[in-house]
Amino acid sequence: MRSFRALLAKDLLEIVRTWRIWVVPGILIFSAVSGPPTAAYTAELLASLGGDVFAGMLPDPTWVDSYAQWTKNLSQLVVFALIIALGGAISGEKRVGTSIMVLTKPVSRAGFVLAKFVSTAILLVAATLVGMLITWGLTLIWFPDAPFGPLVAATAAWLLFALLLVAVVLLGSAAVDSGAGAAGIGLGFFFLLMLSGIWGPMLRWTPAGMAGAPAALGADLEVEVLWPAVTTAILTAVLVWAAVKVFERREL
Amino acid sequence: MNVVETRDLTKQYGTVRALDGVSLTVPEGSVFGFLGPNGAGKTTMLRILLGLAPPTAGSASIFNRDTSTERDAIHARVGFLPDVPGFYPWMTGAEFMRFAGSLFAIPEPQLSQRTDALLDMAGLAGNRNPVGGYSRGMKQRLGIAQALINAPDLLILDEPTSALDPLGRADVLQMIASLRGRTTVLFSSHLLGDVERVCDQVAVLDRGRLVVQGTVDELRRSHGGSTTVRIAVTDGIGALVAAVEAEPWCVRHTPVPHDGQATDVVVNDLDAARQALPGLLARLGLGLRRFDELEVSLEDVFVGLVGVGR
Repeated sequence: MRSFRALLAKDLLEIVRTWRIWVVPGILIFSAVSGPPTAAYTAELLASLGGDVFAGMLPDPTWVDSYAQWTKNLSQLVVFALIIALGGAISGEKRVGTSIMVLTKPVSRAGFVLAKFVSTAILLVAATLVGMLITWGLTLIWFPDAPFGPLVAATAAWLLFALLLVAVVLLGSAAVDSGAGAAGIGLGFFFLLMLSGIWGPMLRWTPAGMAGAPAALGADLEVEVLWPAVTTAILTAVLVWAAVKVFERREL
Repeated sequence: MNVVETRDLTKQYGTVRALDGVSLTVPEGSVFGFLGPNGAGKTTMLRILLGLAPPTAGSASIFNRDTSTERDAIHARVGFLPDVPGFYPWMTGAEFMRFAGSLFAIPEPQLSQRTDALLDMAGLAGNRNPVGGYSRGMKQRLGIAQALINAPDLLILDEPTSALDPLGRADVLQMIASLRGRTTVLFSSHLLGDVERVCDQVAVLDRGRLVVQGTVDELRRSHGGSTTVRIAVTDGIGALVAAVEAEPWCVRHTPVPHDGQATDVVVNDLDAARQALPGLLARLGLGLRRFDELEVSLEDVFVGLVGVGR
């Protein structure tokens, strides 16, 4: 446990001292800052470009549009950045030899993998919460009646889904030596999950239901997310466990 | 007591047998040199000892603990330097030392004291630059320092001097020698001179097989097999070499650097050489300047054991 704390402290310090602090948080903050004004001015912009063509066709923007910008960015841009940034989390350490330096000390491989998951989760949750608060604050400027609840629900649902992707990519990074390969596994899983959502039961009972949930929750629509949330949490735990087991079996 | 013991240790990678039934013992308190040409299986052996790779067959133990199943207990008492040490480039040397110490749960103020002392020993005290900017030699010295952070009972060093300049090598070898009696040192190398300088026990590995194990003196005595004599003449070394080549006691000969009228001759029968040489010199009309028996070097032993068939 003590070595886990040391590894976690190292991983958090690494996030703060390297490019990791800029990539995913940077994209999250950019999404948060750009979303509300984009929602507020898209209709005006199109009207100015199209003249009378769009007159009367575009409804007045509301806070729903602002939150939709946020959830859309989370589900696309941030997901891709997260998967690509995390691909080398374990395989990269194996490649440059730091994992051997660490794992020839009294440190369990489980602790090594768990520290990666927890540090990434801390970064992700903290940056996403900051982004959510920025989105809410800026949305209030243009749409003072914007409720906080739908934004919180949408963000929480996405975070749960994102942690599942973190677990998938960590498993890939533990299993293959290439960071790009691990990212490919993560992207493949993401697209497979999106595709499987076409089939109703998958949407109702499995993590596939979490992929589209943030957009619906952000629009304050009635969505049944209990089972998708439960299965997402269970699958995340199973995948982290699998990453530990795979890494324990690998030669360094 | 033996600190390290392997029995019929075998490691197979596909069709390649990296280790082939290696049975080895490393006595407590020894400075043990693990010799072998590149690709002999030295690093594979060390990786198995450290639990980084499982053996295909056979067993390995450190402190009587199985290396496959009791990794943590072994690692708590071992210090290790890989052949190419990997560091987090954003950390300073001191930060890495403290991080390594925290993995051993070394309490304060012991951790700070050891960090300062070891960085001082490595010539890195006061260096606040990130490790990413270190030279290879600096990284190697930091690697040795971090391997000592837990005051290990066994220090395993994989090619610790290969990346260093002559002065750096001398420093590291002196440091290894200074550990004699305080901790057991197992270090792999293909640099025979380094092993000969500091090791009291040696094992030679070749193509995955343990060729020989013993003290350096034992190896010189029992596996030298031949003696090298240095012959220097006043003039006409070419004629002498031609005559010596024809003698049945001559195994091979090599010129002596910086002396154009001298040659080192490896002989398989010293008495026969002693008896024949005066006659040869008289027949050729050459004056003898020097006739010395040279000490059998570890290199002679190594070439004799490993060089055959290459």
